[in-house]
Amino acid sequence: MSDFDSELDATGLNCPLPILRAKKAISAMEAGQTLRIIATDPGSVKDFEAFCKQTGNELLSSGEEEGKFTFMIKKAA
Amino acid sequence: MSVRLPGPERRDSILKAAQRLFSEKGYHGVSIDEIARKVDVSPAILYRHFKSKQMLYDAVLQAMSAQRESYVQTIINSGTSFEDVLTGMTQVYIKSISDNPDLLRIELQSLLDKNPAASDFFKNRWKSFTDYIEFSLNERLPYDTPNREVTILTAALMFQGMLREVLLQKHLQPQDRLEDVSLHELSQELVRLFLRSVGIEKSHLSRRAVING
Repeated sequence: MSDFDSELDATGLNCPLPILRAKKAISAMEAGQTLRIIATDPGSVKDFEAFCKQTGNELLSSGEEEGKFTFMIKKAA
Repeated sequence: MSVRLPGPERRDSILKAAQRLFSEKGYHGVSIDEIARKVDVSPAILYRHFKSKQMLYDAVLQAMSAQRESYVQTIINSGTSFEDVLTGMTQVYIKSISDNPDLLRIELQSLLDKNPAASDFFKNRWKSFTDYIEFSLNERLPYDTPNREVTILTAALMFQGMLREVLLQKHLQPQDRLEDVSLHELSQELVRLFLRSVGIEKSHLSRRAVING
C-alpha cells in the first residue's frame, strides 16, 4: 500500500514546471491528502521549501537518492 | 601597499573582480595575474583562495547560480495559464539580468569560449523557458498540427532568441530607436507576439492585473 494519495513525476524538468504541476495537482486533491513528487532539478529542494512555506501546505519530507529528489507534501486544511 | 582583508572578504573581492573581468574579456582573455592586480594582491595570495583559473571561473558561476532566479513566486502569485506563467517568468528573468548584466556578458563570452561548465550553466538557465514552452505547447497544440515536434522545438528556440536579443539591445547595445521603449514594454510585447505566433491570444492580462491588484 502506498503512503501517498497522488504522485507527480517531474524528472528531467526545470523550475518552474515541477512547482507548477504540483500546484495543479494539489488543487485537485482533498485537504489532508498527500502528494509525492519526484524531481531531478537540484533547485527544486529550495523551490519546494519556499512553495510550502508560502502556500501553507506541509512539506512532510524531502530527500535525495542518486540524483533524484523526492518530496512529500500534505495539502493544507 | 595592499590592505589586509579577512579571508572571506578577500575571497569575495576576488570573485567580484573576476566576474567583472571574465564578463569583459572572456575566460581566455583574462589571466590570474590581471585579476590579482585588480584586487591588489599577489598571485600567490589569489592561488591560496582558488587553485586555478578554472576553479575561480567555476566559483564565479557558482556565486551567480546562488542568485538564480526563482519562479516559485510567479507560480504562487499568478494564474497557472500559459500566458500568465510565461509573462511572469519573463519578468523575473529580465530583472535578474538588469540586476547583474555581467550574467549576459559572461553568457555571450562563454558561447565562444566553449567552456563546458559555463555552457552547462547557461543552458540550464534557458532550459527553464524551453522546458516550460515545450511542455505547454505539447499539451495545447492539436495532434494533427503539421510538423508538430519541430514546431514545438522551434517555438521554444524562438522565444529564447527573442528574449536574449531584447536584453542584448537594452543592456549591451543601446540604440536610439529603442530609447523611448522601456525594457518592460519590449518584453510585454515580445510575449504577446510570441503567443500570437503559436496561436494563443493573450486575453487575460487586464483581468489578471485586477486580480493581483
